[in-house]
Amino acid sequence: MGKLIIFGFFSLMAILSGIGIITLKNPVYVVVALLSSLIAVAGIFFTAGAELVGALQLLIYAVAIAIFYIIVISAVPWQKAKKSETHHRFEGLISLPVVLLLYIEMIVVFLLGVKASPKGEIAKFIEKIGNAEVVGAILFSKYFLAFEVVSLVLLVGMIGAVLIGRKESQTYEDDTT
Amino acid sequence: MKTIPLEAFLVVSMILFGLGVIGIIARRNLVTVLMSLELALNAVNIALVGADHHLGLAEGQIFALFIIALAATEAAVGLGIIIAIFRLKKVESTDEISELRG
Repeated sequence: MGKLIIFGFFSLMAILSGIGIITLKNPVYVVVALLSSLIAVAGIFFTAGAELVGALQLLIYAVAIAIFYIIVISAVPWQKAKKSETHHRFEGLISLPVVLLLYIEMIVVFLLGVKASPKGEIAKFIEKIGNAEVVGAILFSKYFLAFEVVSLVLLVGMIGAVLIGRKESQTYEDDTT
Repeated sequence: MKTIPLEAFLVVSMILFGLGVIGIIARRNLVTVLMSLELALNAVNIALVGADHHLGLAEGQIFALFIIALAATEAAVGLGIIIAIFRLKKVESTDEISELRG
């Protein structure tokens, strides 16, 4: 019962921060709401028993990515954005029913898949040696190729970000008319 | 052991994913669109971790780790693209980028 109350608190915090993300006007306030939501999601991970993912969520998301957004917001002059920052009202209204329909479809698929999947193969290992060890053992044995591919994706993304973000020697303002 | 039902995780995940998609569609500022995308990715992570909690597996947490890594890559590339768009065209609203509109 206590776990359920903590879970409800964290999910309420995440949802309220999510509402803040889609309604606040100033981009800096939106970053603060995003940070609050990410920390609440890390709390949900902890209550679900996924300590490694929760800790990495705090480290990578809540520190690295949020700071990255703040740096970009402070690096770009936003005077024009502050004047024209509004919402697409009609699209915002019709997006929720469509998304709910798609997501209900996803949940049906998910529940059917859960029903068909093998139950609790490694639950006794998790109880015996802990969450982070189990995740590490499976990550570096069964999913080692995927791990390497993710490292390659990170490298390619880094090269792409540097190439896209560097200063051009010429500007293309004449081409965009 | 299992006091939190799977449906609770799925409902929270659904609400957060819907909020993120509303943000992606309805916001005009490019940076806030990317932040809403981060919210949607987090919702997917909640669903994966909740499934792990229900099934007693660890695969979903591994997928969640991959999603976190890919979200970091996506943030780096996306923000680089936004800065490049701003530098080239001096716009930051999604309405003003309409070259691909037929």
